[in-house]
Amino acid sequence: MGEHKEEMRDVTFRVLRFNPQVDNKPYFDDYTIPVEKGITVLRALNYIKEQVDPTVSFRAFCQAGICGSCGMRINGISKLACTTQVWDELEKCKVPDVIKVEPLRNMPHIKDLIVDMDPMVDKMKKYSNWVESTMPESKMGEKEFLISEEEFKEYDKSTDCILCASCMSECSILRANKEYVAPAILLKSHRMNVDSRDGIHDKRMAELVKDHGVWDCTHCYRCQETCVKSIPIMDAIHGIREEAIAERGVRDTSGARHAEAFMEDIAKKGKLVEATLPVRTNGLGWTLKNLLPMAFKMVMKRRTPPPPPLVKASKGIRKFREEFNEMTSRVKREQKDHKK
Amino acid sequence: MKPFDIVVVGGGGAGLYAAMEAMKTNPSLNIAVLSKIYPNRSHTSAAQGGANAALGNKAKDDTVDMHVFDTIKGSDYLADQDAAEVLCSEAPKIIRELDNIGTPWSRMDDNTIAQRPFGGAGRPRCCYCADKTGHTILQTLYEQCLRKGVFFFNEYFVLSLSTEGSRSKGLIAMNLRTGKVEAFRARTVIFATGGYAKMYWNRSSNAAGNSGDGQAIAYRAGIPLKDMEFVQFHPTGLRKSGLLVTEGARGEGGYLINTKGERFMNRYAPEKMELGPRDLVSRSIETEILEGRGFDSPAGQYINLDLTHLGADLIKSRLPQIREMSMYFEGVDPIEEPIPIRPTAHYSMGGIDTDIYGRTPMEGAYAAGEAACVSVHGANRLGGNSLLEILVFGRIAGHTAAEEAGRFEPGEISRSEIEAVEQELREYMKPSGHYERYGTLREELGVTLAANVGIFREASKIEKGIADIKGLKERFAHVRVFDTSDVFNTNLMQVLELRNMLDLAETVAAGAYAREESRGSHTRTDFPVRDDENWHKHTLCTYENGKAVLGEKPVTMGKYELQERTY
Repeated sequence: MGEHKEEMRDVTFRVLRFNPQVDNKPYFDDYTIPVEKGITVLRALNYIKEQVDPTVSFRAFCQAGICGSCGMRINGISKLACTTQVWDELEKCKVPDVIKVEPLRNMPHIKDLIVDMDPMVDKMKKYSNWVESTMPESKMGEKEFLISEEEFKEYDKSTDCILCASCMSECSILRANKEYVAPAILLKSHRMNVDSRDGIHDKRMAELVKDHGVWDCTHCYRCQETCVKSIPIMDAIHGIREEAIAERGVRDTSGARHAEAFMEDIAKKGKLVEATLPVRTNGLGWTLKNLLPMAFKMVMKRRTPPPPPLVKASKGIRKFREEFNEMTSRVKREQKDHKK
Repeated sequence: MKPFDIVVVGGGGAGLYAAMEAMKTNPSLNIAVLSKIYPNRSHTSAAQGGANAALGNKAKDDTVDMHVFDTIKGSDYLADQDAAEVLCSEAPKIIRELDNIGTPWSRMDDNTIAQRPFGGAGRPRCCYCADKTGHTILQTLYEQCLRKGVFFFNEYFVLSLSTEGSRSKGLIAMNLRTGKVEAFRARTVIFATGGYAKMYWNRSSNAAGNSGDGQAIAYRAGIPLKDMEFVQFHPTGLRKSGLLVTEGARGEGGYLINTKGERFMNRYAPEKMELGPRDLVSRSIETEILEGRGFDSPAGQYINLDLTHLGADLIKSRLPQIREMSMYFEGVDPIEEPIPIRPTAHYSMGGIDTDIYGRTPMEGAYAAGEAACVSVHGANRLGGNSLLEILVFGRIAGHTAAEEAGRFEPGEISRSEIEAVEQELREYMKPSGHYERYGTLREELGVTLAANVGIFREASKIEKGIADIKGLKERFAHVRVFDTSDVFNTNLMQVLELRNMLDLAETVAAGAYAREESRGSHTRTDFPVRDDENWHKHTLCTYENGKAVLGEKPVTMGKYELQERTY
C-alpha cells in the first residue's frame, strides 16, 4: 500500500456570528480545528458546521468556484471560500494561525456569513441587465444571428461573471452610497451594450448616466483587483463612459462634463485647475449654491486650491502632448488596418 | 396567498426555461418559481462541455436522425425512441432560440455557432461557449426571466406536495429567511430540481444541494420514479472533493498510474489506454483500488493522474483550468506532482416518470430536466445531451402546464396540513431522543453507496447497501437539529436534504438489486451481460406504506432495432 501522509496543522477560524433573533450586534467565535494541507476555507467551515457547531451559517453550493454562493471576507478580502486554500491564507494572518472570516460588506446582513443578495437582483432589473432581442418573439428559433469573433471577444470575459458580489463588497462608492449602481451591474450593462443582438442600448444608457450611475465611480480599481474571475471590470466602466460621451455628448450630464474638464486641463497644462472645476462641471449657479459654504470653510482652514492664473503648465507638457497625439493616431490607424 | 396557475420548483435551466415558455404561451398566467438558492447559483452553471444539436454548422452532413441514433445507442437501447426523437428534433431550434435571446455561443470563422466533437457522437455537433456553457445559458435564462417579470421566491425550501386523490393541489414550503412554513396553492406544479447523485456525497461531483428534493417529494406523494438505478460515474474526480477533472487531461496525454508505478490501463484497454470509454476507465480505476494497488490517504484511496511528463508549457497553455482546480481543491500543482483522482458519481439518469410532454402520472404535476426521466438517456447519458435535455423538456413542460392549467381547480390546503409539517420540523430540534449528527449519517450514506451500489454491483453487496440504508434511516429518526433559530436555518435545511437523499437511496438500491443484468452505467458482476429478453424495460419505483415497491414499464421502440453496443 502506498502511504501518502499530509501535513497537518491546528488553525483557528475567527468567524463573525450574528443571529438577528437574539443578538444585538455581531461578535466573533473562535474555532480551532486540525487542518490538512490542501483543504479550502469552505471545507474547513463545513467541518466546523458538521463536527463542532452546527449553528454556524453560510451559503455554499457547487463548491467548485462556479456558482458564486460562498462569497465572504477572508482575512479582510472578499473572495470565494471554496477556491481559497487555508495554507495560502495562513501567510496573510494578522494574528498567526488565526483566519478571520466575515460576511460580504455593503449588503444587508441576514445571519452569520449570509447577506441579502436582493439589492443586486433589483439593480439587474433597474439597469435592464438582459438582451432585449431585435428579433421578434414569433421568429425566434428559426435562424441564428451571425456574430463575428471580434464581437464575441468584446463580451467573452464579461460573461465569466458569476455574480458572487465580491466586487460589490469591496466597492468604495457602494460603501458610501447603497443606491450606487455597483461594479457587477456596470459590467453586465456594458456586456449587453456591446451585444449586436440587443435593441435597448439607448434605454439602458439613459438609466446608466443618471444619479448613482456610471459617473459615480472614482476609479479606485478595488472591484477589478478583487474579482474572483479576474475580469477587467474597469474596462467595462470606461467603456460605458466613453460611449456616453460619444453618443450623448459632454453636455449631457455633470459626470461627462467633469471628465471633459479633466481632459482639457491635462491636455493644456498637465495638471488640474481645481478652482474652476465645479463651475465647469455643474455650472455657476449650482456651485454658488452648493459649494460656497464649503469654499468658505476651506479658506478658513487655508485649504484652498491655487487660483487659476497660478496653475502653470507642467514642464515638457507640449512635447508630451505631441508624442501622445502621435501615439493615439498610430494606434487608431493600426486598429483600422487590423479590422480590414 | 392567491393561488398560482403554475409553480415551478427549481430555478436551474429546466425550471427557468419552463417559466419563460409558460409566460410566452399565456402571458396572463400567474407564475412563480420557488428555489432554495438564488436561481443563478443552480448547478446548470457547472456544465462545461456544451449542448448537442444537429445544426450542421461544422459537419454539413449531420442530421437529426444521426443524433437520435447516437442517443439511443449511447443509452444502451433503454431510451424511449419517441422521447429521443423529440429531444434531437427540437435541438437546433432551442440552440438558435438561446442565441436569439443573448447566449454568447462561441463562433466559427463564418460567424455561425461553433460546434465540437464529443464522446459517443458520430458528428461534431456540440454547441458551446468556451468551457462555461452551462453558466452562460443559466445567466441568459435568468436575465430573460427577470426581463419578463417572472415572480421568484428565492431561498424557499419545498417540503411536500399537497394532493387530493390523484391530483396535486400545490406545495408546502419553508421560507429560509424567516423559517415560516407557507402554502402555495397551485393549479399546476413543475418539478425541476436537478439530480440526486449527491447522495454519494464525497464520491460525487455534484453541488452540495443536489439531493433530489423534487424526486423525493414527488415520490412520497405517490408519483413513481423511473430507472433510479442508473447513475453515471465519471472516471476522474478529485480525491478530496469528487470534483471533475475533465477528459481533456487524458486527451492531452495524461497517464493513470497505480502504486506500482504502472500505467495500468494497458491491462484493460491496451490500444486506447487512458482514452477508453468513460464507463470502462471508471471500472478499471475501481478494480485497481479494490485489488490493493491504490494509494492511501485520510480522504480515501485513490489513483494518480500524472501530467508531469507533459511539461510546464503544455500544462499552462492547454490545461490551465485543470491546473487551477488541482491547486485550489487538492493543493497540488500538476506541473510538479500527479493529481490524486478516483471515479465520481456525477449524473442521475433516473427520475420522476414523465411522458414526452412533461406530465407525470399525477394530474397537475409535471417534471423536467435531470429531476425527470422521460427517458432520453436510458442506461447511459451521452456527453452534451444533459444541457440539451433541460432546455428542450423544460420548455415543453412549461408549455404543457400553461396549456393545461385551466383544466385544474386549485384545491384548498388546510391549516392542519401546514401545522403537521411545522410540527415535524420542530420535532428535529427536541433534545430528548435526538442525538445523531447529520454530517456523520450523510458521510456514511455516501460511503456505503459507493462501496455497495457504486460502479460494481452484485447481489450480496447491494443487500449490504440496503441494510445500511435501512440502518441509517433508523438512526435518522434520532437526528438532531442544533440550530433552533428561525432565520436561515441551514442546519435544518441540510437535515431535510439528507432525509430526501435517504428516501431516494432506497429506490436506487431497490432498482439495482432487481435489475439482474449489466446495461450502460449499471454493472452487475454477477450478471455481466445485457439481458434484453428479461430486462429491456424501465423499472418504476413507487412509495407504498413507507416502502419502495418496484414495478416496470416497457421501452417505447421506433425505427431502431436492438443492437450490441460497441465503439
